[in-house]
Amino acid sequence: MSTPPLLEIEGLVVKYGPAVALDGVSLSLEAGERVALIGPNGAGKTSLLNGVCGLLEPAAGRVRLDGRDLTGRGPGEIVRAGLTQVPEGRQVFPTLPVEANLLLGAYGREFRHELVSATLRYLRRRGEIAARLERVYSLMPKLRELRERPAGRTSGGEQQMVAIGRALMAEPRLLAIDELSLGLAPLVVQDLSAFLLRLNEEEGVALLLVEQNAVLALELCSRAYVLEAGRLVLAGPSHELEQNETVRSAYLGGGLDVADAEPGTQTEPGP
Amino acid sequence: MSRGGRLPGLLRLAGTLAAGAFAIWLGYQLGPGDRSLYTLMGLYAIVAIGLSLLMGFAGQISLGQGAFYALGAYTAGILTVGLDPDDRFLPEAGIDPALAVVAAPLLTGLVAAVIGVPLLRLRGHYLAFATLALHLILLAVIFAQSRFTGGQDPGLAVIEPLEVFGWQITGVTGGTARHTAIVWGLVLVTLLVALNLVGSRAGRALQAIATSERTAAAAGVNVSAYKLRLFVLSASLAGLAGALYAFMLQFLSPDAFGVFLSIQFVVMVAVGGLGSIYGAVVGAVAITWLEHELRELGTRPSLLGFDLPDQAPQVFSVGVFAVILIVVILFFPRGLLPALGDGMRRLRPARDES
Amino acid sequence: MREFLQLVVVGISTGSAYALVGIGMVLVFRTTGIVNFAQGSFAVLGGLFMVELVDELHGLLAGLVAVLAVGFVGSLVGFVAVGFRHRTTPLASLIITLGIALLIASLNLLAFGDRPHTYPTIFERAWDIGGVLVQPQYVLVAGVTLLAALLLTLGLQRTIAGQALGACADSRRAAELVGIDVRAVAAIAFAVSAGLSALGWVLLTPVDPVNYDSDVRIAINGFAAAAFGGLASIRLAYVGGLVLGVAQQLVVGYADEIPGLGQQARQYELAAALVIMLVLIGWRARHEVHE
Repeated sequence: MSTPPLLEIEGLVVKYGPAVALDGVSLSLEAGERVALIGPNGAGKTSLLNGVCGLLEPAAGRVRLDGRDLTGRGPGEIVRAGLTQVPEGRQVFPTLPVEANLLLGAYGREFRHELVSATLRYLRRRGEIAARLERVYSLMPKLRELRERPAGRTSGGEQQMVAIGRALMAEPRLLAIDELSLGLAPLVVQDLSAFLLRLNEEEGVALLLVEQNAVLALELCSRAYVLEAGRLVLAGPSHELEQNETVRSAYLGGGLDVADAEPGTQTEPGP
Repeated sequence: MSRGGRLPGLLRLAGTLAAGAFAIWLGYQLGPGDRSLYTLMGLYAIVAIGLSLLMGFAGQISLGQGAFYALGAYTAGILTVGLDPDDRFLPEAGIDPALAVVAAPLLTGLVAAVIGVPLLRLRGHYLAFATLALHLILLAVIFAQSRFTGGQDPGLAVIEPLEVFGWQITGVTGGTARHTAIVWGLVLVTLLVALNLVGSRAGRALQAIATSERTAAAAGVNVSAYKLRLFVLSASLAGLAGALYAFMLQFLSPDAFGVFLSIQFVVMVAVGGLGSIYGAVVGAVAITWLEHELRELGTRPSLLGFDLPDQAPQVFSVGVFAVILIVVILFFPRGLLPALGDGMRRLRPARDES
Repeated sequence: MREFLQLVVVGISTGSAYALVGIGMVLVFRTTGIVNFAQGSFAVLGGLFMVELVDELHGLLAGLVAVLAVGFVGSLVGFVAVGFRHRTTPLASLIITLGIALLIASLNLLAFGDRPHTYPTIFERAWDIGGVLVQPQYVLVAGVTLLAALLLTLGLQRTIAGQALGACADSRRAAELVGIDVRAVAAIAFAVSAGLSALGWVLLTPVDPVNYDSDVRIAINGFAAAAFGGLASIRLAYVGGLVLGVAQQLVVGYADEIPGLGQQARQYELAAALVIMLVLIGWRARHEVHE
């Protein structure tokens, strides 16, 4: 009997009112894999992530983690099942210190309970969570220096670290990162991708990179899907897609670095 | 939101006119007891149409429609009996009742404009609380300025009959069948004006605002100006209804205009569907009837073997209302009536759709 | 001068109770986006429960039970008011809390009847400070309010539950994404804010009796206090409550001297507060950028 893939999406449809943002997308991802989802602005990439992560209710289709059907479940349940999203634009908690941001990544799952039992669980698991925090700090030493600072008062790259660190605190087996490179300097992006690579190889965390920056995504991931106007148009190993004529002209800009060419103009259709 | 196009426009207009004619005719057929309830339904329908426009299209909630209603009633009443408390009830002390009925919506519209200008730029809850505050202030003024308003005791007696061009609408004994018919005629007029508004160019701008304020603003729609106009319109309609109410009972007391009245209007709109014009009329009729029945039920000495306490009428009407409001908003956020319509359509397989 | 100080003392204590209601509204609004109209009902429940309990239990215990009981009611209200994901808008939630306020009011009418309720203060007499009469109960209300506000601020910063509330206030989306159940947090926010409101009238009832329909007045005053800081700041809501309480007393105290009002001044107590609130909100409207 073969094990089911870590993430399996089948015919996912996401709508905003009458507007169809995602029109029947199927994809899958094995444990420990690095997979990219690329596509232009408004192709439905963020809608796909939000449909998977429970922020939006899919109009049709299935989402399975480890073969378990989690379609339409709330985001909390998805996190507990092992998939954590690093949202577009990072979305740290700006008024809270960096350390509180990280801790909430782990405690978030307790806040499906009322105050008393959430606090009790917090006390009971304190040691375990402190150890996890220590590991995140050792992976990203910079965060230890910033621990007292409100997350809103750190640089864009640091906020991305906070967002990733916060996601790691939930001990995900799959990390879905929405627009890692958005609005960040190329050097910072380089550091972050090196970090993600290490995370994947050493800790075995699978990655789903949702990117407009196709160069970065194809370089970092072994496999990629191309999404256009709510449908998958291409799929395959990164090195093949890199050679593909359509991909080259549309996303790789004939060799130009897309990320540098149009920074910070990405917006997905809002709800 | 608009379900135009489902029925051909002319057919729908004909149906509306026929229903309106029936509603007016009914005014002549009812006995005095039922008639006053029926008149009240019509008055409330006028208020509810205005509030439905405001809530459905401006995304704003007014908890002061009862205040505008009261303001209209007292404006018409005081103007009719005369401003000077000492000369009151002398012949010629006040102005022609017909003019007073015209003045009332103008004044309430003006008041709405004054508070609407600063508040409509803010999110909905500011207007909600401000209009509620307005309601309480008005009640305090009515209580305190009893020289002018009659306060709670003795109240204000508006004995002058309402007459237009020698055509008597209310008599010395208050509401007549003709008054009832005229109220329902006005419901029909208000309904047609509101439908026309929603279907016009302004209506498209309103639809855009209702869908997304930001997009509408980006498309060059002056959002706050439209919101202000809707607010003023809804207040004027409430003022008009209040003025007509003043001549129905010929007696005004602050007890008739409690905060609960404002909330009742919100319930009518919630039941009928936010932004639905027909729904507002149905909501007004249904809720007014329900409130009346619940109050009646509460005045019984006992129910199902239990003795009812003195407060029962109030507890029944208010408490049951509260539950209806909560349930409707939770489970049928678009309104009970539209939800029923959806359900019926789902039962009947789509014929000419899609 | 003496009269002025006397009015200020009374104003600070009633203002403190309004501040507690306002702080509760800020807490709920920041974490859930809901303006809770039933906030005044929590205060009324607190006062009425206290009146019932104080005959049976020691005052301190009675107060504690009353506050906790209302806190529990608050968490239930929060659960209902938040409604369903993707379906219940903040405006719908406001209307729901309106319905809940009505429901609580009618149940209170049924259970407690239509008359002002109060209980005797435990303090035997007022202090005379330079001719100004200071009721110990006033000092108690003001002191406990300040303490509660400080504790709340500290709790929001230092405890994990507080930080979860802060996370929802900062970004509800991101909070959902780390697995925080926004409904559970809303229930916590409602519970805490309900407890705070109840605390105000648990203490204030001996000097300011409550009736089943006091909720509207309290809710509006609390909203005014909260609106002073744009519904966003606990500190400003506290200040707003005090400003409102004092201004209200001053208007009432000196109203006799305003021409045209004369002896009816006292009847304008609430109206005065509301006019002050309208001015405050209008003033804010000019400063707040439309969102």
